[in-house]
Amino acid sequence: MSDSLTRAEPVSSEPFAAQGVTITLAPPMARLSLRARDRATLEDLLGRKLPAKIGATAGEIACLGPDEWLLRSAQGAAIPLGEGLPLAVTEISERAVCLIVEGPRAAEVLMAGCPLDLELFASGRATRTIFETVEIILIRSGENRFEVEVWRSFAPWLQLALTTAAAQLR
Amino acid sequence: MSGFRLPQCGRIDRSRPVSFSFDGTVYQGYAGDTLASALLANGVMLLGRSFKYHRPRGVLGAGSEEPNALVSVTRGPGRFTPNLRATGVEIYGGLTASSQNRWPSLKTDLGAINDRLGMFLPAGFYNKTFMWPRSFWERLYEPAIRRMAGLGEAPTEIDPDHYGATYAHCDLLIVGAGPAGIDAALEASATSKRVILIDEQDEPGGGALADPALWPWLEESLKDLAAAPNITVLSRTTAFGYYHDNFIGAVERLTDHLPHPAAGLREKLWRIRAGEVILAQGAIERPLVFAGNDVPGVMLASAARTFLHRYGVAVGKRVALMAAHDSGWLDIFALARAGVAVAGIIDVRESVAAPLLTEAEQLGLTIHLGHSVIDVHGRLAVKGVTIARNNGAAAARLACDALLMAGGWTPSVHLWSHSKGSLAWRDELGAYVPDRANEQTRCVGACSGKWNFGSGLVLDALPTPRDPARIKAFVDFQNDVTARDIRLAVREGFKSIEHIKRYTTTGMATDQGKTSNLNGLQIASTALGLPVVDIGLTTFRPPYTPQTFGALAGHAKDALFQPTRKTTIDGWAEENGAVFELVAQWRRARYFPKAGEDMHAAVNRECRAVRASVGIFDASTLGKIEVVGPDAAEFLNRMYTNPWKALEPGRCRYGLLLKEDGFITDDGVSARLAPDRFHLTTTTGGAARVLNMMEDYLQTEWPDLNVWLTSTTEQWAVIALQGPLARKLLEPLVSGIDLSEQAFPHMAIREGTICGVPTRLFRVSFTGELGFEINVPAAYGRALWERLMADGAAYDITPYGTETMHVLRAEKGFIIVGQDTDGTVTPYDAGLDWAVGKKKPDFVGKRSLARPDIAAAGRKQLVGLLTDDPADVLEEGAQIVADPAQAIPMTMLGHVTSSYWSETLGRSIAFALVAGGQGRLGETLHIPMPDKVVTAKVSGMVFYDPAGARLNV
Repeated sequence: MSDSLTRAEPVSSEPFAAQGVTITLAPPMARLSLRARDRATLEDLLGRKLPAKIGATAGEIACLGPDEWLLRSAQGAAIPLGEGLPLAVTEISERAVCLIVEGPRAAEVLMAGCPLDLELFASGRATRTIFETVEIILIRSGENRFEVEVWRSFAPWLQLALTTAAAQLR
Repeated sequence: MSGFRLPQCGRIDRSRPVSFSFDGTVYQGYAGDTLASALLANGVMLLGRSFKYHRPRGVLGAGSEEPNALVSVTRGPGRFTPNLRATGVEIYGGLTASSQNRWPSLKTDLGAINDRLGMFLPAGFYNKTFMWPRSFWERLYEPAIRRMAGLGEAPTEIDPDHYGATYAHCDLLIVGAGPAGIDAALEASATSKRVILIDEQDEPGGGALADPALWPWLEESLKDLAAAPNITVLSRTTAFGYYHDNFIGAVERLTDHLPHPAAGLREKLWRIRAGEVILAQGAIERPLVFAGNDVPGVMLASAARTFLHRYGVAVGKRVALMAAHDSGWLDIFALARAGVAVAGIIDVRESVAAPLLTEAEQLGLTIHLGHSVIDVHGRLAVKGVTIARNNGAAAARLACDALLMAGGWTPSVHLWSHSKGSLAWRDELGAYVPDRANEQTRCVGACSGKWNFGSGLVLDALPTPRDPARIKAFVDFQNDVTARDIRLAVREGFKSIEHIKRYTTTGMATDQGKTSNLNGLQIASTALGLPVVDIGLTTFRPPYTPQTFGALAGHAKDALFQPTRKTTIDGWAEENGAVFELVAQWRRARYFPKAGEDMHAAVNRECRAVRASVGIFDASTLGKIEVVGPDAAEFLNRMYTNPWKALEPGRCRYGLLLKEDGFITDDGVSARLAPDRFHLTTTTGGAARVLNMMEDYLQTEWPDLNVWLTSTTEQWAVIALQGPLARKLLEPLVSGIDLSEQAFPHMAIREGTICGVPTRLFRVSFTGELGFEINVPAAYGRALWERLMADGAAYDITPYGTETMHVLRAEKGFIIVGQDTDGTVTPYDAGLDWAVGKKKPDFVGKRSLARPDIAAAGRKQLVGLLTDDPADVLEEGAQIVADPAQAIPMTMLGHVTSSYWSETLGRSIAFALVAGGQGRLGETLHIPMPDKVVTAKVSGMVFYDPAGARLNV
């Protein structure tokens, strides 16, 4: 974005590994909150299909609620704001960072603080949930791979909580 | 003494002897022993002193129902655990345990004087005896009673251990791995259900562990369960509470049984959500109530059988049985067959089933039917008992060193009751059993009242020819409650068991009445002449057994206690010596002291810099909400008190937010970026609350509006540049924005770039100076801050913190919601009439502002206060009166809400909420302080640059 100002991340980008689980800070990405009562208005604006079911993902887009989608894209994309249309496109690229929890026991690490039944949370699902008291968006991007979106200021706490839980696996 | 260990029986590992110490003496046991079984094997009968009377106590039970044998275990600094049941402490090499609540020693305890004074210490004695003089209660009586009574010492050092926690989900949770629980698990092993089977002991089996005939079955079953892929067995795990929607809390003990625990978790909290719960908690044998039933060596018959078969320990060399139930006969037969001498079987019943008599005769045991124990001899250990016919005749003494009690069985309905399942009384069992379920749950085995232990007689206390008012027959061993205490409570007018419980303390605290509840009920029932079902049943509460605070806290300690939110600029502040304060969950820089400066010196310097050159402030924690959609302006118009629809894109407005009651709840400056897009700001502490409130209105009151709210608090880092030189510093760094006064006036917003990064640049001021708030994507906040600090050196740029921000805003009369308002302040009270849209048809809180009390005269109103002595800085919170000579209690007019030394003005300034304040301008009021009375004049709230000349430059 800038040549003269350098980015600062809220947590170390040094990967953590224990008990076959790695916890890594994902590279920066563009994030947009997409809101509309009628999915079609957003689909028309973006020229692409949105997942219809809450908790479903389709490529870069996750459906988080009846009128809410999250678009995450590595490259960043110029998206029209749809001024005047009955929808909302809001830039939230820097609101959160993403911690990737990966490995055969990744689900066990998350279960330390996340009350969801992860055995029933299939690959490709995404949902807003909590880890202990901290709100997260959890995306299962593979059988043994979870992406955890967390607001910047909560990221150091969450990174410590996840690495502690991983280190304590028996 | 020795020789209590029997040569053959038991599941202990005789190839692995274990040394441990109790009260400083070293003993030997075997792997597989509990502290209780190992001490009994060594002939140690005395394990503790009782709660109130300091009476010598031994082991009553063999499991988690044990009320007497509470011990402390220490494993080095900070690793001290009091109040452990000796029957549940597994021994390991080097175990160091000690008894509790005795001084100077367990055998010679001076506190036992309470036992002699017993008649002066009846139930509720502290309510009666220590009432006068009243002032002695806190200073003398309570501390003295607390020292005398009680359990183990509370740990005093920080616990160095680690504790973990996890959630778990299953289709079927089975609590209790006795025969009934194991059967349920075996049945489920054939299904695809995810099953968790938890058991509190070190090995699964429950009652089967005390029945060698079942051991082959147990071994086979456990093999089958281990082979079943859908079944998880958790041993050493206590399900301590049953919560809504089949949510069960359990603690797994991982290292307490190990001599040298490796690094790792001591305990783990399991938070289990189950589709169905099967409770197989079993039943607990009931003691009998008679004089001396607490002498060490008097214990439950079933416990004696467990010590025999599971641990290979004879509880005595000559054992007697006092029975009211068939099961005790079976237990004493087991002891007799193992070669233990039996002093006799005493049964309160006049007749018992013939097979029992036959077997007793075959074993050569003496039988006393229609008899009861009326006294127990010995103080530190049983030496014998006196028995008599139930009519009191033919008293005789039997020599014995242990007395078993068989009073029948009580189903363990603790978790069932936590789940709010109802109970039904069963006369033939003399017990409550589970009736209607409230959750998806059922009880199996003995905890549902199904057992094959034979039958018995249900009675409140054994018959005795002695004066019941002069004997101590214990009901609740842990809380030292006797039958006499319960009868006294009834005599004093208590009729409900809930009241009797609270008056006598029976069934309370860590024990939760495991062995005492039903005896207590029976005694109260007899005393009241009412059936048991008419006097109620007390509530069982979690935890089922005491748990450590460590396990409940889990990860939530030290750095993981709770998140401390830090801005992207926080690291710079820390490196540059900032002093921080916590605001909501955020940590904010309060001031930046230079060497030798205290807070006042630092704040004075920071204030001077902002007024004279330029100050820089991290405002990133301000709450931010992006409001987007065609109805955005309409929505804000309904939420805020002032009009929003006519605000032009590119302009900002101060917004005041009320709750429905008309009181101020938040404020902030917000900008219109486009016709359908607003950038709102809220207070730091109010961010989440305001977003929730707005969402609430949007979703429930106006779901027709096409507008969406997104929290953008963390999207943007916000740097406030405030001071006459702010523009000069900023101008060279910004592109795409004309910063001139004409093009970019006060209360405007422009979008462009700064140092190549996109920015939403606000021209706003919370200081009264020319000011900008630079919003950049959060990742660039620190780099921009450092750039501004570097370029600003030429302008004497000064970082300032929240304390300086507070002073500067007070000089300008700006309020802080939550400091100058307290949830009872209307816009009119705060002097913000100008921010209320008089012509608006509606806004949140409008109707309340028309209520008579809100419009009434004499309400507390915000005003300025200037002390007569300009050097006097009032204390925030100080009370204000009109007449300091008035007798106490004085009529208080209000209080000081904000007060500072103003370096700019060279005097103190303050805000205050004062009754009828706006009508008192110029009036002198008084603020009584401990050392003097301060006088001050009521003034307006804007102390500096009232015309705003410094803003519009």
